[in-house]
Amino acid sequence: MPYSLKIALQSLWHEKWINLLSMLTIAMGLLVITLMVSTVYNINLFARKLPERFFVVAYLGDRVNEKQAQDIITALTERSGIEKVKYVSKAEALNELRASLKDAEYVLEGLNENPLPASIEIRFKKEAMGPESVKAFVNSLKKIEGIEDVQYGEKFLLSIHSLKTALETIGLILTMVTVSGIVFICYSTVKILFYRRKEEVETLKLLGATRAFIRTPFVIEGAVIGIVGGVLSMLVVITFYFSVFRQLSATLPIVRTVVFPGELFLPLPLIGLFLGITGSFIAMGRIKF
Amino acid sequence: MIEFQDVSKFYDTVTALRNIDLSIGKGEMLFLTGPSGAGKSTLLKLIYAAEMPDSGRISVATWDTARLNGSTIPKLRRTIGIVFQDFRLLLNRNVFDNIALTLRVRRISEREVKAQVLDALRMVNLRHKVDSLPSALSGGEQQRVVIARAIVGDPTILLADEPTGNLDPDTAAGIMRIFRDINAKGTTILIATHNPTLFKDTGLRILRLDNASLVREEKG
Repeated sequence: MPYSLKIALQSLWHEKWINLLSMLTIAMGLLVITLMVSTVYNINLFARKLPERFFVVAYLGDRVNEKQAQDIITALTERSGIEKVKYVSKAEALNELRASLKDAEYVLEGLNENPLPASIEIRFKKEAMGPESVKAFVNSLKKIEGIEDVQYGEKFLLSIHSLKTALETIGLILTMVTVSGIVFICYSTVKILFYRRKEEVETLKLLGATRAFIRTPFVIEGAVIGIVGGVLSMLVVITFYFSVFRQLSATLPIVRTVVFPGELFLPLPLIGLFLGITGSFIAMGRIKF
Repeated sequence: MIEFQDVSKFYDTVTALRNIDLSIGKGEMLFLTGPSGAGKSTLLKLIYAAEMPDSGRISVATWDTARLNGSTIPKLRRTIGIVFQDFRLLLNRNVFDNIALTLRVRRISEREVKAQVLDALRMVNLRHKVDSLPSALSGGEQQRVVIARAIVGDPTILLADEPTGNLDPDTAAGIMRIFRDINAKGTTILIATHNPTLFKDTGLRILRLDNASLVREEKG
């Protein structure tokens, strides 16, 4: 076994309690990051699916004939950011209403004429889904002759967009704070180990040890602390997935819509390793002879 | 091998060494003596670059110590074996590992480390203590471990700061014999001591320090 590795493992065992505490704290930190990343990931996923569900409905006046409606559709289709434009005639609107009423269809009995207007449904491309751009588009729609009213889920779109932006910002800040926290924990642990072995380090320097020789055991210790913290957090996530998440998704439909991004959790040990090594290097700074 | 040119060293307002001129030839063995606080340890520290002079120039082997940096200081120190006055033994490592440190910092193979450490232990008569921790050794035994750590790996220069301070006269004489044997192989040896019996009738050069200055040179 290489000498540096042997010394690092001896020290890890000798200072096992402080090291274990650091590993657990790192695991907690990585779990916080995991939670934030998963939330932002799911919100983003939902926001990406929004164009499939979201559309603007422009209601046409009674005097607009099919030819005029077709001209409006052609003009709208040529605009940028528009994915699909669909014409819904008065009859189709009534059929859709009947279908949606199902057992309550009797409410439509007694109607002598179809009260529903013809309409145009407009769906947007992903990149044109911002609240501002949709609002501007809707305002321009209202100015088109023949369109009497325009409806869309303005508040819904705004809420989703605000939630996404807020969660991304909070997630980024929390992740940065937690990452700094983890680096600081590794830094503090290695710094303590370094001070406890200060005499040894001084002797090594006088015997002709290079900086790399002195640093290597401490870097290994930081790396082991980081990687074990990462493995612990990954195990907690995997345990949660199999014992809680899968059970819940079998019983609660809402849980089924949540995506569990395994590809984001598997690198947790590597993230721990990287943060551990970074903390170790900062802790030792520039070794002076 | 070692040259001091008008070297001075100060600690705040205290003068540790003043205008030292000194030349030690390759393969020479000599003594540095003087009362406590005369500057003996400081002079040794200047040689292995644990301290830097405030003025003057020091050259050791092929190095000008003023030009040493983080990558060349270890190279210089690997050519020097040091017997520290305060031992500097690692209390949580056994005798073998303490001596082996000198070789391990040079990335020597473990097989070679084992052979050389056991040779060094035989020289200081401590082969039977190979697995002992320093705390289980007497002061004299600890000092011999430090000497073994200094001589292992055949250094070009050997610096010894009060190497027989804790030893009885017979063991001290044995250590001096070891030093002479090493010197016979071409190692330059500088021994700092205030024990005159060590250099009496040796015929070797003695440098006498007093009040931070080199006051006299004589023969033992």
